[in-house]
Formats: sequence, C-alpha cells, structure tokens
Amino acid sequence: MKHFPTRRTILGAASAVTLLALTACGNVAGGGTADAAKYPTGPINLSVGQAAGGSTDLIARALAEGAAKTLGQPMPVVNKPGANGALATKEVAGKPADGQELVLLNASLITITPLAVSADEAVNIDDLDIIAGLSQDDYVLVASLGSGFKTFKDVTGAGRAVTFGTTGVGTGSQLAQTVLFKQANVTGTDIPFDSGKPALTAVLGNQVELATIQLGEAMPQIEAGKVAPLLVFSEERNTFLPDTPTAKEAGYDVPVAQYRAVAAPKGTPQDVKDKLLAAFQDAFKSDAYKEFNKKNMLTPKEISGEEVVTEWKAYAAKYKELVEKYDISLSGNK
Amino acid sequence: MDFLNPVINGFAVVLEPTNLLYCLIGVVIGMLIGVLPGLGPAATIAILLPLTYNVEPVTAIIMLAGIFYGAQYGGTITSVLLRLPGEASSVVTVFDGYQMAKQGRAGTALGLASIGSFIGGTAAIIGLTFLAPIVASFALDFGPPEYTALAMLGILLVATISSGSKAKALIAAALGLLLATVGRDIFTGESRFTFGSLQLADGIDFVPIAMGIFGLGEILYNLEERHRAAKAPSKVANVWPSRQDLKQASGAIGRGSVLGFFLGILPGGGATIASMASYAMEKKRAKQPERFGKGAPEGVAGPETANNAAATSSFIPLLTLGIPANATMALMFGALLIQGVTPGPQLVEQNPELFWGVVNSMYIGNILLLIMSLPLVGIFVKILRVRAAILAPVTALITLLGAYTINNSMFDVTLVVVFGIIGYLMKKFGFEPGPLVLAFVLGELLESSVRRSLLMFGGDSVGFLGRPISATLLIIFVLVALLPVIRSVAAKRKSTGATAVTPEIKEKV
Repeated sequence: MKHFPTRRTILGAASAVTLLALTACGNVAGGGTADAAKYPTGPINLSVGQAAGGSTDLIARALAEGAAKTLGQPMPVVNKPGANGALATKEVAGKPADGQELVLLNASLITITPLAVSADEAVNIDDLDIIAGLSQDDYVLVASLGSGFKTFKDVTGAGRAVTFGTTGVGTGSQLAQTVLFKQANVTGTDIPFDSGKPALTAVLGNQVELATIQLGEAMPQIEAGKVAPLLVFSEERNTFLPDTPTAKEAGYDVPVAQYRAVAAPKGTPQDVKDKLLAAFQDAFKSDAYKEFNKKNMLTPKEISGEEVVTEWKAYAAKYKELVEKYDISLSGNK
Repeated sequence: MDFLNPVINGFAVVLEPTNLLYCLIGVVIGMLIGVLPGLGPAATIAILLPLTYNVEPVTAIIMLAGIFYGAQYGGTITSVLLRLPGEASSVVTVFDGYQMAKQGRAGTALGLASIGSFIGGTAAIIGLTFLAPIVASFALDFGPPEYTALAMLGILLVATISSGSKAKALIAAALGLLLATVGRDIFTGESRFTFGSLQLADGIDFVPIAMGIFGLGEILYNLEERHRAAKAPSKVANVWPSRQDLKQASGAIGRGSVLGFFLGILPGGGATIASMASYAMEKKRAKQPERFGKGAPEGVAGPETANNAAATSSFIPLLTLGIPANATMALMFGALLIQGVTPGPQLVEQNPELFWGVVNSMYIGNILLLIMSLPLVGIFVKILRVRAAILAPVTALITLLGAYTINNSMFDVTLVVVFGIIGYLMKKFGFEPGPLVLAFVLGELLESSVRRSLLMFGGDSVGFLGRPISATLLIIFVLVALLPVIRSVAAKRKSTGATAVTPEIKEKV
C-alpha cells in the first residue's frame, strides 16, 4: 500500500522545503525580495496591543477574516496587551521584515501617548512600514441628564466649575476634552477612568457631569436618551450623529479622533507590501467588513501607508503644539 | 410581569445546543478536576480558563459557571473520602463526612451533599433572579466614593473572616494591595515598581497571579500533602440516602439554603464562611450536639447546602456592581474581562442575554450536577487512586500552557511559576491565598476610587460622609474593625466565653 508517497509525506516534504527556504531567506540581510513571489509562505500573524474583545481587537479580526481569503493563508489575531499597545508594536517592529508579522496600530500610541509617558515607552512610526489606513473612530462629548447641559453653550454659559471624566491618561478623550475646555475657558476637574465603559457609567449615574467617549461606546445610551451628545471632535460631522455639531463649528480648534492602520516591520519588500495592500483592499470591499464598520460606528479611512505617515505626523505635531500653547500636562502633574 | 421577559429569553439562550453542551462539559470537567485533592473551584477555574477563549462570551461564562459549581461539588468528594478538603469551603465537611466514610457511609454522605447542593443552589438562583435586578437598579448610584467604601469593607472582611490566623490573613491582604500598585499610575502616567520593564507597565495581570497561587501553588502543595492523606476506599455504595437520613438532614438543608444565600452576597463572604456558619448553627440547634464530629448527617448536609447557595449568590455583587465578593469570584471577574465583558451596573440592562443566559444556565447546571454526580462517584473514586506523581505534572503542564495562551507571553508563564512558588510557600506556612488575591483585585479599585473621590470632593475627605451609601458602608467598616475590641470588652465583663465558631474549627483542622 505504500508504493506512492502518501499525502502526509508530500505535505511533510513540502513544509520542510518551505522551512529551508524560510531559513535561507532569513540569512539574506534585510532581503527576501527574490522570494516575494512565493509570499505568503505561511500564516500571517496580526498582533494587537489590546485585549481581546475591545474595539481594536474587533477591527483586527474583521480585517484578518477578509484579507486571509485573498492571501490564501490564515491570518490569526495575536493579542498581546500592554503599555497601550507599545509592547506588541515594539515586538513586531523587531521581527524579520518578511510580511509574516503585522501589527494593528492605534494612532494615539504615536500621536498622543508620547505626550503623557516617558520616552522609552513611546513608539516611533519610522520604525515601521505602514501598509494601509483603516478607519476613524470619533470621540463625542456627552453630558449627564443631571447636569442639565443640552448644548456646549450651556456648559460655557454655566459660569461654574464642572466635573468631567476621561477614558484615561494619554488618551484622545483626555486630550480633546482638556484642550477644548482650555480654549472655551471652562474650569473643572478632570477625573480619569480606566476606559470608556466606567467613564460612561459615571455619566449615567451623575457621578460626573461630562465625559468624552468613543462614539461606538456612547451610542446606545445616546439613542436611549440617557446622555446628551454635545460635540464631536472630528473635522466634519459624523454620519452616525448628523445633528451633533463639531467642535470646529462651535469655534474651537480640537481635531482629535482615533485612527487605525496596519503596519509591518521596517524594510518589508515592496511587492510583499503590495500584495498585502491588495488583500486589505479586497477586505474593505466586502459587505461583511462594510457592515462591521457601520455596526461599530467607524468611518472608513482607507488611505495609503504614505498618507497615514504624513497625517499622523501632522497630528502629533499639532497636538504637541496645542498642549504647549495652552500649557496642558496630560500626565496630571500640573 | 414585564420584568420576567428577559428572564424567559435567557432560557432560550441556555437551551441552545452549544450552550447546553458547554454547560455539561463545564460541570463534568469541573467535577473531575475538583475531585483532584486540593484543587477546588478557584484552582479549577484558573487551570481551565484557557479552554474558554475561543467561544462566545455567553457560552464561555456558562461553561465557567459550570466548572465552578462542578468543582465545588468535587471538593466535597475529597473531603469525605480522603479527609482532604478541596478548598476552604469544604473544610467543615471533613468533620462529619470523613467519619461517615469511616463508618462505611461515604455514599450516604456524598448523596446528602449533592442533594443539599442542588437544593441550596436552586434556592439561591431563585433569589438571584429576583434580587440581582433590584441591586442593579440602584447600582448607578455607586460612584467612586461608594466603591471606595465597599472595597475597604471587602478587604477588611476577607482578612478578618478567613478561617486561619487573622494576622497572617492581614499580611497576605497587605501583600495583595502592594502588588496592585505595580504598573503605570493611571492618574499621572508615571511608572511604579516596573523597574523599567515595559512588560510591567500595565501592572501585573490578575490571571497569572491566580493561576500561580491557586493552580500551580496548590499542585505543589498537594504533592507534599497527599502523602499524609487517607487512602481512598476502593468502592462507594448506597449513594441514595435513606428516608431517615433525609429526614434528619432536611432541616439543615432548608436553613443552609437561606443562610448561605445571604452570607454569599456579603463582600468578603462567600462559600467558606457560609459553610462554617451553617455547621455552627446546626450544632447549636441539635438535641445531641455530641453527635457532631462523629458522623452526623446534618453536619454534612447543612454546610454543603450553604456553601453552594453562597457560591451562587456571590454572583450578585459581581454581576451587578462589578465587585467580586471572594477570591473565586475575582477569578470569574478576570474571565469575564478576557471575554470583553465588563461586569457592572450596565451589564443587566445592556447585555440581558448574557446576564440571564448565565443565571438560567445555573438551573440546568445544578440539575446536571445532581444527575451526574451520584452515578459518577465510582469513577471519581478511581481518579482519586491515580498516583499524584502522574497527575501533578499533567495538571502543572496544562496550567503553564494555559498561562501562555492568554497573552501569548512567556513573561506570563514566568509570573505563574513565581506566584506558584509563592502560593506553595504561603500554604506551607499557613497563609491563606484568598486574602492576597482578593486584595489584589480590590486594591486597584480601592486606589483609583479613593483618588477619583478626592478629585470629586476637591480634596476634602469629609465628602465620603456626605453621601448616604458610602457613609453607611464606612460606619459598618469601623464597626467590623472594632469588633474584636468590643468583643474582648464584653468578654471581660461577662467572663463567660461566647460560642465562637473559629477556635473550634482551628483545633479540628
């Protein structure tokens, strides 16, 4: 019965050859261009610097599902939470640049976190090759029913100090709210929570009067009429909340949102990057992915890697300038 | 009866074949691992947590809940057959359970325990169904000041109520609080005790601590302890208690259900204190208290009923307030977070399928437990006879593999080993691991709530007393803290000792 090589031996031999090819590839310094035609050679790991179940993780899973079909290889999502995502990002940045290891990046890690934490915890975008931008996740300023605030004018006209919750130190929520209040001369106490959910609970229970939260998290309570949306921080009105004015319309300069992108280690061959980009674009086109964005109140921002780098660097500079101009310390050491 | 609609919808969730299957798997695996000497509910959940990563949150929690009460029952088996309590809540079962086993009535003891567990569990689920929504409805009034007071009370109660030395429990709790301060200060972004390690920037993850202290620590300790344990009998017969046994135990089962339910809701309470209180109560009520410790059926039925009722009702503070009442619930808390579910005031309202699905799965789980436990006793006895030298490395390996898969991190594996050694040493030197683990969880909550409260009050700590709930909780805190003083004063006046539960238990263990 063993005249012909069995399926298993063929598979075994094939994987042995692949392994050899891989090791050979690893020996060519920074290279691997010649093998790019064979890419991908195995499962492509997509690392996420946040815990499973959060919005960043869900985006990674939706994206991986679509892209894996085009690439013909599985794309497992690997959660490695720690230091706002710095841990996973730094690890992937140090992996071989062969396109087998990717990371899902939150813009805040590059643009805002460095304003709050020590330099060694920060991540430099130049250590990575950005493959594609994904989407924009907007922040909304909500008010508790007990506060009586219906518009942001009510807040500025109240003539008293207010209490407001943020989703934590070094987040877009904190930056947006602090800068806005400085510009609008609103005084009050900034109370950081661990994430969006406890901040929202505090608003619902009238523990704080205001909070800035990501739209996807706040939406169910906005729709239920249990919190009032006052402002969104995007440059244009959010399609899911068309009646809520932007901070810009109200006369303030606070363009803050969460953006996400996929990145690979620096020096990934161009044709590997092209293949990956094509696969992601296929995923963007799929109904399942579009539906996912809609369900999670995400605005597609499917731009090229170069655009991502330009935009994020511009935001980082802008935020730094705003923080210095208004003498704001995100780390709470006022 | 509108409020019952989500309850009924919850049954639809449970009756989905996948959920039923996972409930069954949970109960059976829980019983199997819980039956291994020393591995109680907390250790079992810690070891099996990774099994749930790839299933839906509802399914995962249903399975974990199944593991939880399955293991709770498994711990009873070792108490009765080997004189080795699976965990603290089965300690009192040893007194009469093992004596019954020596008299050849091990089957009866186990039968009574499972019938009591079923009744206690079911009564508590009914209580949970009606009480949890009420608690949840005023849960939004719980702001940082109330959480501060509740966390303080929880840490104090767990340290003072624990079964062993109070001083040691307080030391363990203090260590837990200290560990909770590692990581980035969430108010200033500064690193504390991270020694420059990015791995420690977010603090120490709760799961590796629990897996190390409860899982690996217990395994190591048992390797040593098992030499001293009794040998399992080769056969257990007559698991169906006789009519007379049932008659004798029925009062104890009824009282245990009510007592357990209320003690389970208390922060720092839970299954252990419930079982001890029930034992003390039964002994006090008995016409011939001298039968206790010599194989009295009520001495097994009461505590086993109470600890199951308490185990179930301790889900109330967890699911509605996000406060784990005891160490096992702290683990359940970790498991929910891994699933992306944050237990707290909004859970009942925003995630009714999950909430009621889990609650209602307990009815099914308890029925499954009752059906499975009696006929499976024979198999459990066989498992108990497997050599520890084979079982221990296997369970240790599963634990370490599981630790790796949570965050795909070798760092976590190292943490589990470190905390495993700490857990082993703690057990060896008579420190209970519960206070450490619970203080660790509540410590983070305590610190951030205190600081948030002070921000809210503009730095004025009198603000805590200006809010009715936090003021009440703080008064209770002071009373509990002063209780030993009050007691000793009262004792000096009367000079006749009250019938305290703890000293008696200490001398027997």
